[in-house]
Amino acid sequence: MDESEGLMNEIFGAFPFIAANFGMLMEKTSEHLIISLVPLLAAIVIGVPVGIWLGHIHKGEFLAVSITNIGRALPSLALIAILIGFVGIGMLNAMIALFLLAFPPILSYAYQAVNSADRDLTRAARGMGMTPLQVLNKVELPLGLPMIISGIRTAAVLTVSSATIATIAGSGGLGDVILNQVAYGIEGVLAGAVWVAILAILVDQVFALLLRVAAPTGVKQLRATTV
Amino acid sequence: MTLSSTAPKTTSTMNSSIVFDQVTKLYPGQAAPALDSLDIEVKSGELVCLVGPSGGGKTTALQLVNRLVDLSSGDIRIGDRSIMDIPAIELRRTIGYAIQQSGLFPHYTVAENIAIVPTILKWDKSRITRRTAELLELVGLTPVDSWLGRYPSQLSGGQQQRVGIARALAADPPVMLMDEPFGALDPITRMAVQDEFLEIHRAVGKTTLFVTHDIDEAIKMADRIAILKPGGKLAQYDTPAEVLTHPADKFVAEFLGAERGLKRLALTTVAEVLLAKADSELPVESDLPKVEADVTLREALSVVSAAGAHGARVMERGSHLGDVTLHDLVDPPANAVDAKSGEGIGS
Repeated sequence: MDESEGLMNEIFGAFPFIAANFGMLMEKTSEHLIISLVPLLAAIVIGVPVGIWLGHIHKGEFLAVSITNIGRALPSLALIAILIGFVGIGMLNAMIALFLLAFPPILSYAYQAVNSADRDLTRAARGMGMTPLQVLNKVELPLGLPMIISGIRTAAVLTVSSATIATIAGSGGLGDVILNQVAYGIEGVLAGAVWVAILAILVDQVFALLLRVAAPTGVKQLRATTV
Repeated sequence: MTLSSTAPKTTSTMNSSIVFDQVTKLYPGQAAPALDSLDIEVKSGELVCLVGPSGGGKTTALQLVNRLVDLSSGDIRIGDRSIMDIPAIELRRTIGYAIQQSGLFPHYTVAENIAIVPTILKWDKSRITRRTAELLELVGLTPVDSWLGRYPSQLSGGQQQRVGIARALAADPPVMLMDEPFGALDPITRMAVQDEFLEIHRAVGKTTLFVTHDIDEAIKMADRIAILKPGGKLAQYDTPAEVLTHPADKFVAEFLGAERGLKRLALTTVAEVLLAKADSELPVESDLPKVEADVTLREALSVVSAAGAHGARVMERGSHLGDVTLHDLVDPPANAVDAKSGEGIGS
């Protein structure tokens, strides 16, 4: 009885903790966003064009799939531990680890988005005398855009939630709170966890909104009429 | 039909024949060619159907013409120019291309879809607008304004296919390639679109190569039919009537099916039989079913058979033209059939 009452108190204690330490949490949040969004951005800058290009020439399926599978299998904690050996501790270590986490879904979704464009459509486009670049710009990209964004969305949620672990490399962020029960108490740990969860959901919803905007008009109507 | 208003050259005055000269296509890694020494000529303004079972290379033959597939050997000439003398992308812009499921861009409106090739060719806006309206009228999507802004997903299959045809005709190409364009339509829509397309074809006179796996469609649409057999060999190239009456070999006969004789009857109308025979009056006391003059012998036979009669009374707008006997329907006078089989060739 006492034990469960204690747990309930601790859980409810998370909310006063958030209120009392709002400034500190915001500071940690901005650190957290930097360590997760910088590698995300880097993964977008490299992964999206490479994925689009491979999808357009319909080559490199093996590469795209392998990278995705390796990415899925890699435990981020082990990655950070290994990277400490190479780049030491600090933000760079965490960012490299998170980049490696974000890259596979971005690459493979971008690849799939373009590679899976309806072959009848691209054949019609070529048959009408479109150049390869016109086929890409007018058919493959507009129709594949939602899927490309889905890949970025998956990667964004992954990096924002995984950035918590980055604290073991001494990079700061909300993981500092979650993994430091000694300093912040169980209320602090729970508050940090709730905060990260909210952050991940927010990021997810931002991309959900973006996805709705990016869907090409005629295709959106298709969805509306077939529902 | 005011198609020439935006297209200064009428295609009928230009030679736009398609000649396959010993055309062979061997896909890499395959032992047998997809198309084997194909030799056919599609004359200017003709509609030729490529038919055959899958594996006969009919779609390959089509895609060789606009260089979506590269020739292994032989040559294809449009007019008198080899397609190999024209850069592929430039060549494709001069050839109308319509495919199954219409191939319309789902994220483009009807107007934008039709304008694709004219836009690539950098036509000015007002010319594109005029042309788009003209084409929608041609394919029967009127009033034009109510169709321009719709997306393909808002159209029925038949409407999409009509837009697909309009798109293929957009830049007034002398040659049209159609790859099973009506393959995905239900039978009733398919018949309607076939009729409309035949009318359009007669009006605009594009040299047309039309792939279908449906022999009935080929018989209905084609001036001449090229039947390909597995291995990409040409089995027969002739008019529908000739192919039905004198199949070149066992393969063609089997491909045409057990109803070959009936299909042949579908090529001739009772009006043509009436014209061909001298004495068309049957005894007045006979109780004959009535058929309209423009029905085919096949349909008339069905009516006669259903009524258990020995002939039919041919009517046109309520007046009695004459009578046909069961014998006339089953074994029509040769000149009635010949008149039909000669049509389209060289015209």
